[in-house]
Amino acid sequence: MKLRTFRYFVKEALKSMTRNGLMTLASISTVALSLFILGVFTCGVVNLNNLASNLESQVEISIYMKDGLTTNQVMEVGKKLKALPKVKNIEFVNKDEAMKRFKERLGDQQGLVAALDGNNPLPSSYIITFEDPEEVKNTAKLVATFPEVESAHYGQDVIEQIFKMTQIIRIGGIALIAFLAGATLFIISNTIRLTVFARRKEIGIMKYVGATNWFIRWPFLIEGMLLGFIGGAIATACVWEFYHFITVEVENSLAFLPLVPMLPFFYDLSAILLGVGVLVGAIGSTISLKQYMKV
Amino acid sequence: MIEFNHVNKVYDNGSLALDDVSIHIEKGEFVLICGPSGAGKSTFIKLLSHEVVPDSGTVIVNDMEVSHLKKRKIPYLRRRLGIVFQDFRLLPNKTVAENIAFALEVIEEKPKVIKERVASVLEMVGLSHKANDLPQDLSGGEQQRVAIARAIVNKPLVLIADEPTGNLDPNTSKGIVELFKTINNSGTTIVMVTHDMEMVKYLNKRVIALEDGRVTSDRMRGAEFNEA
Repeated sequence: MKLRTFRYFVKEALKSMTRNGLMTLASISTVALSLFILGVFTCGVVNLNNLASNLESQVEISIYMKDGLTTNQVMEVGKKLKALPKVKNIEFVNKDEAMKRFKERLGDQQGLVAALDGNNPLPSSYIITFEDPEEVKNTAKLVATFPEVESAHYGQDVIEQIFKMTQIIRIGGIALIAFLAGATLFIISNTIRLTVFARRKEIGIMKYVGATNWFIRWPFLIEGMLLGFIGGAIATACVWEFYHFITVEVENSLAFLPLVPMLPFFYDLSAILLGVGVLVGAIGSTISLKQYMKV
Repeated sequence: MIEFNHVNKVYDNGSLALDDVSIHIEKGEFVLICGPSGAGKSTFIKLLSHEVVPDSGTVIVNDMEVSHLKKRKIPYLRRRLGIVFQDFRLLPNKTVAENIAFALEVIEEKPKVIKERVASVLEMVGLSHKANDLPQDLSGGEQQRVAIARAIVNKPLVLIADEPTGNLDPNTSKGIVELFKTINNSGTTIVMVTHDMEMVKYLNKRVIALEDGRVTSDRMRGAEFNEA
């Protein structure tokens, strides 16, 4: 394509965008809204996956003992645990130590401890660290069958919960995004249809004087892609602000939650949002061209 | 130059447009196609520009078999044709010169060539002084001259005119017809659809009469032509 021709296409596209100002605005906002939601869901899924893989690489099992065991019984369990393969370290946490750690974690909400009225409901526990995460799942299952053991917890427990949640968010997100994609396609193809209608005389003449089909199509395609691109850019900016806000909030109140850092992540995310925007724009105008411009 | 061999065309709604039509037109001829409305005149033109394709038979334009043309080759066929309509079909928001230049712009001609050719066809149709006027400021005859200029600016082999004087008064029509004659004299083949018998006689060129989709007469001298 010659540069002069490309300039002509862009000029024509911009001309019709300003001519159908209201429809242009409507399409851009629809694209922006849809892509914003896509972006938010992506952030959610990516963070849950990140959380899951963080937990997956944890090599710790917490084994909570039943109440009312003798010291001997507890020691006996400790011996059995030491005999397990690939154990790196075993730490025993008694009830008092557990309470101490709990208090530390509560921070300024010590009122909760006071409500316990001096009772200590926390169990004593062993914390085993393994050399690699492979052993964790099976060992936890095995240990849970010991008669002295109340329960054994490890990261993957939580991981399964997270996977369930991710699944729900994914399915919900996909349904919502599919619906929004439909709406976006509809409104973009409508906008392009108006442009085609406004230019039908020109198109007719172009055909008669031998303009190629692609020469006729390009301005409409460019218009659609521009609508998608601008919508994608707005969506990226909004998701950026949103994610920034969430990051700050989480750092203030839920510091232990490991969020995916903004920067390398947003290079990919903005590329996705802009790419999807442009693609949806191109498809939307193609639909219109197929329907209303038999070239 | 133009060859119709046993062309049949029935539209989807069942109406018969052309029935076993065979016509040969040589390079440089000036041919009038006449007949009542519904005789198949428009179909004849649409077959030339590949707006419709025949059900059977072949249409050849400038050695190109039009009926089986690949879709992406259609524009290149149309670049060899100039088409003029009864209703001019000028773009209202472009000036005379821009309207003519448009035909070259969309086939990506160089700006320098566009400028030269537009100036030369404007001179040919006698509208150099109105190059920067909008179509709405021109008379009907002038508008048709602009349309003709646009049709010939890319030097077509065949100029096709569909009732070019249908919207014009007799005096203006004569001027337009004279212009067609000038274009024809420079070697361009002209196919003109008309039902204006005065013009057929005035021009005294080859006349092909169509009726109900059939060729009913084909005479070399329009003056001898009688509406039977």
